[in-house]
Amino acid sequence: MDGMSKACLTLMCVALLTGCASRSLFVSYPSQAAKWKAELAMAPVAVTPPEAGPQDNPPPEENAASSASGDSLVPANLAAEPPASPVISKLEAASSGADGVLYLQELGRVNQLQGRREASRQAFAGAVAAYDEEDASARIQVSSLAATGTSMLTNDNARAYIAPDYERIFTRAYQALNYWAANDATGTAVELRAAALEQQVAANKREKEIAKAEQEAEENNVDVGQFDGYFEGLNAVAGDVKSSFQNAWTFYLSALFWEAHGEYNDALVDYKKALEIHPDADMLKEDVQRVSAAMNGKKPDGGMVAILYEQGYVQPRAEFSLPIPTVHGFFSVAFPTYALQDKPRPNSLRVLDTAMQPLGETRVLADVGGLAAKDLKERLPGMLVRQTLRATAKYNLQKEANNNYGALGAFATQIYNLVSEQADRRSWLSLPAYAQATRFTLPQGEQTLILSTPQGDATLTVPVVNRGLTVIHAVALPGRLITRVLPVQEGPL
Amino acid sequence: MQRVLSMMMLGAALVLSGCASKVDYGDAQGRETVNTDFGSTDLQMIAAKMVDDMLVFPPIVQLTQNRRPVVFVDSIKNKTTEHVDTESITDTIQSKLLNSGKFRFVDMTKVESVRQQLDYQSESGLVDPNTAAQMGRQIGAEFMMYGNFSSIVKREGSTKDVYYKFTLKLMNIQTGIIEWANEKEIRKTKTKSLFGL
Repeated sequence: MDGMSKACLTLMCVALLTGCASRSLFVSYPSQAAKWKAELAMAPVAVTPPEAGPQDNPPPEENAASSASGDSLVPANLAAEPPASPVISKLEAASSGADGVLYLQELGRVNQLQGRREASRQAFAGAVAAYDEEDASARIQVSSLAATGTSMLTNDNARAYIAPDYERIFTRAYQALNYWAANDATGTAVELRAAALEQQVAANKREKEIAKAEQEAEENNVDVGQFDGYFEGLNAVAGDVKSSFQNAWTFYLSALFWEAHGEYNDALVDYKKALEIHPDADMLKEDVQRVSAAMNGKKPDGGMVAILYEQGYVQPRAEFSLPIPTVHGFFSVAFPTYALQDKPRPNSLRVLDTAMQPLGETRVLADVGGLAAKDLKERLPGMLVRQTLRATAKYNLQKEANNNYGALGAFATQIYNLVSEQADRRSWLSLPAYAQATRFTLPQGEQTLILSTPQGDATLTVPVVNRGLTVIHAVALPGRLITRVLPVQEGPL
Repeated sequence: MQRVLSMMMLGAALVLSGCASKVDYGDAQGRETVNTDFGSTDLQMIAAKMVDDMLVFPPIVQLTQNRRPVVFVDSIKNKTTEHVDTESITDTIQSKLLNSGKFRFVDMTKVESVRQQLDYQSESGLVDPNTAAQMGRQIGAEFMMYGNFSSIVKREGSTKDVYYKFTLKLMNIQTGIIEWANEKEIRKTKTKSLFGL
């Protein structure tokens, strides 16, 4: 008996040591994310509205060179980029740890919002490499078994972070925007195709995975249904999101890109996929009609201006205490959830012309909070199984300590159990709460637009090219509005 | 005891040697199977297949019997889900064709530098007019080489399957006739191992 408890305590020490690799083991992830959010709220960024004027297309030779070299982005219009801050170096340091992929995603996004395009591209490329590694890794891994073992005595944060599909899709979309901003049409096309592939793969594997998790729950005698009452908030946040990965916003982004390059087949497919997700969207119905007409050679004059609008931040996971029944009675464990009161309400961006006449208003295409909640919901069966096993393991540890180490040991173990009980609150937190878009047609030439949001207004002058596409990427963070105009896309790829 | 000690030594030696990293030269033509991404072996297979096929195609053999036609290489359209340097593929094909002695090439990526040099030779006054290259004497390309590179990726469960198709065409610029075309297909499949570190 004594040997066993010793082994248990040793395991606990090992757990603590290996746990150091995972930064979220004892410090909740949302509190870490607060640091870079605070910086994004204040930092003076090079791509603030007055500077985000129209970017000229680089000369054709340069364009060809950058697309041919493929991997390197040699931006033609690279302004002095803002220097990286201490928060960035912290993120960079964290990106080599066990949860590296999560920090790489954050790093890519923060760099993108602060106007460091090449750094952002590298971070997202690192995240993509991590996805590939994850996809190629062996089905049963010694390291992940060890982490799961550690997580049995600590919490789920000891398990290496695996990016959910909706985050992978956003990474691809943002990477496409990086290439787009560098006017590398080939690179953008590659990333958009990869985004579509991710959605495809996610759709294929989803049903199998859910069935497998439920089967596992059954085998371990965990009745998932008994916890339903605790997760009503989660259902409310998920709202009318149908699946955890379908993202009409990225479909819309790629549809716009294909349409601008005359790839009407691809554009039609993506508009239709977006329409499938939002069947009541009039904007998408018009898009489908317009592209269908274009396939028959009917192309109206004027250029298209599209606004990609990202609103706020996705809400972080909340923590609540879930009583898990074990053979020894109820054992309380920390469990992640999403609370409806944390979820921001959608607000739209309105576009006006200089005469203050409305040109368009953005529409929500991806409810990221909903996607995240839906994703968590899909993971619940697996998490509940682990929590039940963990509750039993921790109970046993406490009992061992009671029996063998007296009051002090029992007290120490109790403290340990209390401190180590942290819900897995990790998720990509610099994503927007809502990804929205709108588009309208304007005559060729320089056009001045007024963007109006609750977070602030911006006046932009953008180039409009006949049958071309001008995209304005607008991100509303608490207290400020970041806008940038992407190079006009036109002509065949 | 002796045995235990020697075992421990062996264990320690294994651990230590496992940690030492080393650099080595490999065979540049060796098969590379690190992952299913586009790699050096794919590039070499594509270039070899294209060149071999083109040089034995009867009309091309006939065409290049008495002269060396001038070709310019347009870009290869990358329609895959990877960032592939397609210029590197056409470079290899171009070198091989050039070395076969059957074709000559003009390089459209260097037009601007050539123009600068010509301007310098004719206008700077520093170059002996007798040796200066003259404007308007370049030879026009007779053929254009262009193509597509596409892929179909399937990933499900523990299997990843990648299918690449590289299509290359040779068009007579004046007549618009495609004189030659060929494609190279590559399939790569990766199955996840059951156990790993």
